[in-house]
Order: sequence, then structure tokens, then C-alpha cells
Amino acid sequence: MSAASRMRSAAEGEGRGTRHSPGAERSEGEPKAQPLLEVTDLVVEFRTSDGVVRAVDGLSYRVEAGRTLAIVGESGSGKSVSSLAVMGLLPPTARVTRGSAQLAGTDLLALRPRQHRAYRGERVAMVFQDALAALNPVHTVGYQLTEALRARRGLSRADARTRAIELLDLVKVPNAKARVKEYPHQFSGGMRQRVMIASALAMDPEVLIADEPTTALDVTVQAQVLHLLAEIQAERRMGLVLITHDLGVVAGVADDVTVMYAGSAVEQAPVGPIYAAPAHPYTRALLRSIPSTAGADRGTRRRLPVIPGRPPSPAARPSGCPFHPRCDVAQDLCRTAVPPLTSPAPARLSACHFAADVLANRPPRAAERRDDRPQAAETPTTPPFDEQVPGGDHE
Amino acid sequence: MSDAVLQVRELVKHYPVRRGLLRRSVAAVKAVDGVSLTLERGRTLGLVGESGSGKSTLARVLVGIETPTSGQVLVDGEDVSTLSRAGRKQLRRDVQMVFQDPYTSLNPRMSVGEIVGEPFAIHGIDPAGGRRAAVGELLELVGLDPDHTSRYPHQFSGGQRQRIGIARALALRPKVLVCDEPVSALDVSVQGQVINLLEDLQEELGLSYLFVAHDLGVVRHIAHDVAVMYLGRIVEQGPEQPVYDTARHPYTQALLSAVPVPDPAVRATAGAAAQPGGLVLEGDPPSPVDPPSGCPFHTRCWLAPTLPEARSDAPGSRPVPTVCATETPALVPHGDAATHVAACHFARELAAPGVES
Ligand SMILES: Nc1ncnc2c1ncn2[C@@H]1O[C@H](COP(=O)(O)OP(=O)(O)OP(=O)(O)O)[C@@H](O)[C@H]1O
Ligand SMILES: Nc1ncnc2c1ncn2[C@@H]1O[C@H](COP(=O)(O)OP(=O)(O)O)[C@@H](O)[C@H]1O
Ligand code: SF4
Ligand code: SF4
Ligand SMILES: [Mg+2]
Ligand SMILES: [Mg+2]
Repeated sequence: MSAASRMRSAAEGEGRGTRHSPGAERSEGEPKAQPLLEVTDLVVEFRTSDGVVRAVDGLSYRVEAGRTLAIVGESGSGKSVSSLAVMGLLPPTARVTRGSAQLAGTDLLALRPRQHRAYRGERVAMVFQDALAALNPVHTVGYQLTEALRARRGLSRADARTRAIELLDLVKVPNAKARVKEYPHQFSGGMRQRVMIASALAMDPEVLIADEPTTALDVTVQAQVLHLLAEIQAERRMGLVLITHDLGVVAGVADDVTVMYAGSAVEQAPVGPIYAAPAHPYTRALLRSIPSTAGADRGTRRRLPVIPGRPPSPAARPSGCPFHPRCDVAQDLCRTAVPPLTSPAPARLSACHFAADVLANRPPRAAERRDDRPQAAETPTTPPFDEQVPGGDHE
Repeated sequence: MSDAVLQVRELVKHYPVRRGLLRRSVAAVKAVDGVSLTLERGRTLGLVGESGSGKSTLARVLVGIETPTSGQVLVDGEDVSTLSRAGRKQLRRDVQMVFQDPYTSLNPRMSVGEIVGEPFAIHGIDPAGGRRAAVGELLELVGLDPDHTSRYPHQFSGGQRQRIGIARALALRPKVLVCDEPVSALDVSVQGQVINLLEDLQEELGLSYLFVAHDLGVVRHIAHDVAVMYLGRIVEQGPEQPVYDTARHPYTQALLSAVPVPDPAVRATAGAAAQPGGLVLEGDPPSPVDPPSGCPFHTRCWLAPTLPEARSDAPGSRPVPTVCATETPALVPHGDAATHVAACHFARELAAPGVES
């Protein structure tokens, strides 16, 4: 069962109008307490045939009202699993073994499933990457938009219809009045993602978690959807968690950025400084590997700087710093000691032993020799062997 | 003097839309609707455009997976369709395909050796030194361990699987590789490795690439020339530099302005086209079953309504110049270079507000 259909059936199971909604008394635009959502030291483990694997390994982040936090990471870094944990939507094989997720004084992770349901959608809502899979093909868009509202708030059919049209208008679906009666397959990818956003906004949540909401979309449609999210976020002073694997996407819309690698945050900073001067070698390498449309490498067709190897699987995480087999400035220390999250400058956090040096863009102080770059062959990974790069592809 | 390895002339590919009990053809999806292209030897032609614009269909016709409805494909000057079956098969060997999804394009029950060596078996070819050695060489060429021929696709990462796909495509020593989104499914940090490999191979083997991708940054990096597709047609084409820096078609400008720029300062500068709030195109592309009259882009064009010639046919309808709604613009030179062509009646009005160089 997909996370979304789980969410759907959770909403269906809700009694009608039995509980006063926590979001109902908030008036629009009123500033909220800060931070809205604070995730601390989150650890999520899966039971698999290979034993227990840690998909999320000590993740912390905070989102404030009226701000957008971008969580950036490659596939498998734990972005979705950590979001599902906050939403209380983890599959049965997963367990939160440590950490908390505070939402206005309540630890979401300590809630029983029934209690968690009361928060889901109402206070914190989620938009999933695959909008088609998340929508039910046999119900109209209008029906799905207001399913939870009818169940939880006891809205009449007529009121639900009016609200569904309002919601579609809110996400700028043209001709909302006619389109509420249509089915998901009659909507394009971008329009479906708008419907998902509308559905997440139905109960006016304080925090919206959008998991790769534009990954499946064209650049043109991606721009529309990002624009829409930014607008709604600002209007409602919502806390927005924007999850993506694309650093380019977040520069224009995020206030703060958290970069994830192998299950935890390796760097956190306000958006301006992180692009200007990254404080973690992984962030720096990611930024360098984005091919630009501005033609900086025009004519010469300079080789793209790449990160050797590939992200480790959670079943075989490297010792010490999890990034060390791929890091271009790794030192002996990195192989054995896990770097703590340190603050090399105000408002900056980096999980690198040499954060201050990286931030200043100088070689690590321990590095007398720059040539002790680690061999990719050391990467402990499943599948059994590593990305091999002809002729030393690293720059 | 041009040295074209692959030429496409007025290529059309329509898929019938069938309805009812008799499965009668009631309409056609005009997936590719009159495309002409030239791929120069040893160069890379990037093909960009929104989803559904016909890029993959064109790619499939070029490698012979699909037959065109009409039009010509010329490989080294020879028209593929006029050749005998045997001659066609021979020419087809010269054009090979690399697929988007390294997870589904490889047969999971075949070993890597069998996958990479399969083209030899299909074409009944015994390379000098034997198939085993040839497969080993191919794996080495793409940076994989030649001793891993007995392993299966699931034992490799996404980037490695894409290398396997490239090795297989190279088995018959093709002249042209048609790469359909070859790095789109890969992680950012692994994408660059595959792009660099393709560039190395091009240099080493003198290959020519038709490179389909939706990432305009990737295309700018790898391509010498760029073609922009909209609703089955090329709307702009030319060398990479003028197309990106002085785009002459409003659609190309909109595509470029939608690319997120990894620079937070861009948001701060008001009016910068590159971020949300910039040149955001309205709506989705129209259906290729019933493309708009005149200029196929006129229903979404941001330029047309701003022109002094713009007028609405009906009250409330989108005002555009009559010529945009009635006459299909031809692909003609508009830039400084004669090879830079755009299909817009008002291309000259575009003082390139798009992306600065
Ligand atoms: N076998 C088919 N039968 C009917 N219609 C088809 C077929 N293959 C493609 N089409 C249609 O042709 C048009 C072009 O499709 P195509 O796959 O070439 O687009 P594309 O540019 O590759 O898009 P994307 O970026 O999503 O890969 C689309 O409208 C598509 O639905
Ligand atoms: N149901 C599951 N069982 C076992 N492992 C899982 C499951 N779901 C996710 N994982 C693993 O957890 C890690 C993080 O996954 P995820 O959060 O989905 O990554 P992403 O950052 O791409 O969203 C991955 O290594 C993934 O393989
Ligand atoms: S701790 Fe060491 S290996 Fe890890 S990122 Fe910093 S320098 Fe690189
Ligand atoms: S011909 Fe008219 S509608 Fe078409 S792109 Fe040019 S201005 Fe826009
Ligand atoms: Mg995910
Ligand atoms: Mg395609």
C-alpha cells in the first residue's frame, strides 16, 4: 500500500465531527510560535532480510512559520523515510528508535497511531512525489479533495463541493467548477500535483512537507508548481519543508537548506551563504557538479566535475565520516572518527572535521599532502563493486 | 562544408487513435509532425522540449524501432527506406540507442556478458578475437571490470547499468548513438560520470550523438548543436551558443527561463526571468491529436499577446496576432548565424530578454 493510500484510509477511518480541529481557531495570516516543527536526532530503522538497516541516522532540522526549509539529498539519503516518520506513515517494518518531532509542544513521534491521525492533514500535511499513484482513479478529484473534510468536519455534500472548487482555485487549476467533477486521469502531471497540493491544504495545516513535488515534472511545469508553493507558503505563513534532490531547484525558493547524506544532515545553513560558501565538502561537490545553462564551460566543453563512487547503502555505511570514501579532502581522521555537527560560523552547521577550512575554501589544516585522496575501492557498498571511472574521472 | 552522418527530412510519425468495436482509426496522435535535422559527424545534437513533444518518438524512428509515417532518414547520405532489407539492416547497425532507464532496459535474467554480446548474436557477427574478448574490451571501454561478465544487472548500481547499456550499444561499432535521456534516472553525483564517459568515447571513437534530455544544463554541457521541439515540430535549432544565449523563439526563451538557477541572488533581482515569477508559461502543451492552427505555440505564447498586432477573435479570448493563429511559421534564420533558425513570425522582435551569456 502506498503511503498516500494509507493516508487516505486513515482519513476514511476517522469519526465524523467528533473532535474539535486544532487548526480551526487559527485566523489566516496570524503569526505562529517558532519553531513550528523541530525534528531532533531522528533514527529510523528497517527490518530487512539482511538484518536491521538504519535509513535515517540522527537527523535534526527545524522549520519556522513563514519560512521554507529545503532538504536536499541524493536518492536513498533518507528524505522520504524521515518525512513519513514525522507523518506517522512509516510501513510496519520500520521503527523510530530514537529522536523527537516537536510540533507546538507535542512530540509527534511519541503519539499513538490514533492520536497521530488527529495531527495528520490538520496540523502537518504532506505532498507526495508521484501524484498519479497518490490519487484514487475511481473517485472524482472533487470527492478526493474533500474526503477528509467530510469525514472529520462533517461537511455537507454541497459545502464540500464549494470547498473543493475553492481549493482548486487556490492552486490555480483553470475552470475549477467543471474540473472538480473530473477523474485524475483527465489531469496532466502538473495539474495532478496541484490537486495533491490542494488536498494537503484542505485542512489548513501549519506545516506542509512536499516530497520531491516537482521531480516528475517538466521544467516549465516545475516552475509553475514551485511558484505556486512559494506563493501559498507566504500567504499563509506556513512552514514549508521542500524535499528535493536538486540543489538548483531550491536556490530560488528556500530560506534555509539542510543537506542530507547517508541518513543524516551534513550541512545546514541559510540559503544565501550555503551557495556562496559551502561548509561541507559534499555540498561543495554537489554544487560543482550542476551543469549550467549559462554556458560557463562554453567552447572548451570542460569536463564536468564529478563525485567519484556513489552514495552508500544504509546496509553498508562507511566507518568514520560516511562521506570519506568520496571526499576530495578526506584525512586519516575521517576514516575512524564520526564528525560531529559543528558551527564554523554563525548560523552555519557542518558535520565535517574540517568545516572551518572548507568554509574558508582552504585545504584542511591536517593536510600536508593533498595526494592522500582515498581510493574508490574502499567504498563498502552493496551491490558488490564500485563505480569505476575510466582515467580517474574526478576532475 | 558539412559532413552529415545522419539526416532527417520532413519526418512524420502519426499514431492512429482507434475507437469503437471495429477499432476504426478516428484521429491521429501527431507525435512527430515534419521534422528535419542534420547530425554532423563527430558532433552532438541536443534535443530538448517538454514531455510529450515527440523526442522519444523521433529517437525510436531514427534507430528503426518504429517506421515513419512519411519522410526520410539518411545514414551517411543513404536513404534507409529505399534500401533492401539486408542493406537496411546493415545501415541500422550504424545507429544504436541508449535508453533512459538503466533499471528496466536491461534483461534481468541475462548476464552482463550476454547483454553486451547479444548484438553479435543477433547480427551473426564474430568479431576478430572472438565474442568473449570483444565483450571484455567493451566493458573496459566504458570503465567496467571485464571480469564481471558473469554478473547480473541487479548487482550493479544505476550508473554502472547505464555503462552496460552504452557498452551494448557500442558493440557493433556504430557511427551514431541516439541517447534518450541517458542520465535522467541517475543521481546528480553519478550523472557527471556518465556524461564525461560519453564525451571521452566521442573523442576516442569519433562517435556522433543525438542526445535527448530535459535537463537544459546537461544539454548545454554536452551538445554542439541544439534543437528545440514543441508538439512534434522543431521550433528552434542552431549551434549551442546562440540558441542558449540569444534564443529567437519565445518557447525556447520560456524553457530557459524555467530552469532553476543554483544561485539565491537570482531571486533577489526583480524581474530575473530565471525563477518563479519569471517567464512562467501558462498551462500544459495542447494535445498532439488536435494541435492548434497556425503557430502551434500560439495558445501558450507569452510574446504574441504583447504585440501591437494582437487582437482577440471573440470577447475574452486570448489576443494574438492573426498571423500567429492562421499561418504556420517556417523555420528560417533569425540570428547572426545562418545555421541558427527559429519558427516564429516575430522572432526579430525578440531582443533576447532571456538568459545573458
Ligand atoms: N505508441 C504510441 N501510440 C500512441 N501515441 C503515442 C505512442 N508513442 C507516443 N505517443 C504520443 O506521442 C506524443 C510524443 O511522445 P514522446 O514519447 O515521443 O514524447 P517525449 O518528447 O519523448 O516526452 P517525454 O519527455 O515525456 O519522454 C505523446 O503525445 C505521446 O502520448
Ligand atoms: N520499506 C523499506 N524497507 C527497507 N529499506 C527501506 C524501505 N524504505 C526505504 N528504505 C531504505 O531507506 C533508505 C532511505 O530511503 P528514502 O527515505 O526513501 O530515500 P530518499 O532520500 O530517496 O527519499 C534507502 O536506503 C532505502 O533503501
Ligand atoms: S569529515 Fe573528512 S571525509 Fe568527512 S567531509 Fe569532512 S573532510 Fe571529508
Ligand atoms: S509565431 Fe506568434 S504565437 Fe508563434 S511563437 Fe511567434 S509570436 Fe508566438
Ligand atoms: Mg524519496
Ligand atoms: Mg521520452
